[in-house]
Amino acid sequence: MSAASNHNWFDTESGILDRRIFTDEEIYQEELQKIFGRAWNFMCHESQVPEEGDFFMNWIGEDEVIIVRDREGTINVLLNSCPHRGNTVCRAELGTTKSFVCSYHGWNYDLNGRLIGMPSEEHFYRNPMDKNDWGLTPAAKVESYKGFVFATLDPEAPPLVDYLGWVGRLGIDFMAAQGELEFLDGVHKNRVQCNWKLAVDNVYDWYHVKVSHGSALKIGMIGEESMAPMDQMVLLGEFGHGIGGPGITEEMFQESVARLSGSEGEQIWYDRNVRQRMKPEVTEMLGPVGKRSFGHPNIFPNLWVALTRQVCLRIPRGPYETELWWFNFQPKHVPVEQRQNAIFMQNHLFGPAGILEQDDGENWSHSTRGAKGSFARTRPLNFTMGKGQDQVLHDESGQSRIETVVNEHGQRWTYQSWQEWMNAASWPELMQNHSLPPTGEI
Amino acid sequence: MARVDAEPLAAADGRNLTSSYQKLDMQQRMLLKFEVEEFLFMEADLLDSRRYDEWLECLTDDIHYWMPIRRTTTAREVEREFTKPGGMAFFDDDKSVLALRVKRLAIGRAWAEDPPSRTRRLITNIKILGYDGEEVSVASNFQLYRSRLNSEEDNWIGRREDKLRRADGGFKLSQRHIYLEQTVILSQNMSSLF
Ligand code: FES
Ligand SMILES: [Fe+2]
Repeated sequence: MSAASNHNWFDTESGILDRRIFTDEEIYQEELQKIFGRAWNFMCHESQVPEEGDFFMNWIGEDEVIIVRDREGTINVLLNSCPHRGNTVCRAELGTTKSFVCSYHGWNYDLNGRLIGMPSEEHFYRNPMDKNDWGLTPAAKVESYKGFVFATLDPEAPPLVDYLGWVGRLGIDFMAAQGELEFLDGVHKNRVQCNWKLAVDNVYDWYHVKVSHGSALKIGMIGEESMAPMDQMVLLGEFGHGIGGPGITEEMFQESVARLSGSEGEQIWYDRNVRQRMKPEVTEMLGPVGKRSFGHPNIFPNLWVALTRQVCLRIPRGPYETELWWFNFQPKHVPVEQRQNAIFMQNHLFGPAGILEQDDGENWSHSTRGAKGSFARTRPLNFTMGKGQDQVLHDESGQSRIETVVNEHGQRWTYQSWQEWMNAASWPELMQNHSLPPTGEI
Repeated sequence: MARVDAEPLAAADGRNLTSSYQKLDMQQRMLLKFEVEEFLFMEADLLDSRRYDEWLECLTDDIHYWMPIRRTTTAREVEREFTKPGGMAFFDDDKSVLALRVKRLAIGRAWAEDPPSRTRRLITNIKILGYDGEEVSVASNFQLYRSRLNSEEDNWIGRREDKLRRADGGFKLSQRHIYLEQTVILSQNMSSLF
């Protein structure tokens, strides 16, 4: 257990952030324990490991884990570190296997991580050793929500559904609304020399689009109307989850339904999304507010859900480096042409060669660099956009939201929540001390 | 180790030579290779000197420009190393997408290339895999060095499998499949063309 602290890197009163949080090595080490070591971390989709022995490698902070389906069909998450000398027992990033054999001295493990064999055990280990004590360390808990598998290293973490709350769940419901999903083989991975939080902060950033992605807009890769400043909706969830971005009114939703039901068909950029969401079961699942939100969910700490049926994981690699992993999905039952068009967008918007995303990396890496200079490091960062200008709206649906213009509510909520995680000594303390989503003026 | 049947590696041993190429005598092969080299070097020069519009003119209208995602697998499962055509890829472009990439650079606010990167392409180990009188299949190794701003460097090394089709008294590129020697792309973007 780590100690409670009282850091005030983010001043919630003023919306001013201390930029050392992007470069300080000690803060980073603390994050590995207090954020990644405690959170429910996205591992993979169940369809990535459909059969016994299928495995996929991922990270919880800087700890590498094996996600593997065992004989009973259960998905296990195991630390990829042999308890003999610490060597990795799996060097492939995906595959199918019967067991994991350590390449150093040959200790081998079954699909549950149990130590099942040690070369020459009877000759060399004359001392008694109970193999049951020396398996691969499992994650404290592994749970999934609608096929998305998460793991936590902290036994005190609340159940996944409670952790996600309605906002985190809604992020995944957006994906589930598109039909039963299957994972498409191939995760786009690349490294950006930025702090992971700057990539996360950007999920809610609808201010940068016209500037950063000006060229993509001009060539028509993305539509001006869907990306330009417009009606925005922000949903803030417990523990730091959020959804920020375009949102439409109930009237706009109904007009869209009328268009789609009549002869007009799709006219406005969100009509295509409304088409999926007007189905009664989907409307029911998303709720009266959720169905009107087309924003970007971030599942705290580092999973961005994009409306293109993709999720992007931001894996820390030290304070100055982040790996971006794009997982791509398609509904199982869609016409071939629709599927091909969707794959086209998945391959061409994001990822290192993505026509949209290639312009993001340098902004994040240079923002990180902007916190390295010993003088620059002392200069505050401004997160004040729209602060105090909006109201949180509540109704009987329980889906509280802010309906406004382009803003920085999502970013402020992220840093505020992050700070609460960093100040709490344990899950029980975080449960007690964390802020509930804001009400009233915000 | 088991014989590896992944497409790019299989082609490398030269077993895929088409018979019409094998029928050429040494002198004809040398001439063909010279022609192919001149085209590849010229085309690399256009990219290095940022003459993107002229580069586009070197492509056929039906070009397929593709870079699959590569993964680390065990030797036993090495057939899973590359993603398959039609699936997820870093590049899976037709001419219109390549034209968009080029247009983007000219239009302003293409920040990944503004200020422009400095690139140099080294094209080596050129090997003709087949020729049917119309189209040449050619493999080459490349090193694409990029430097940006004061100190940012990227180094991409890999293998390309190209098809060059006879057109307008010379060649046009009708296929470029790029197999990069990286799984995690160790760069903040790939705004360069390979
Ligand atoms: S380190 Fe794994 S067997 Fe020795
Ligand atoms: Fe962006």
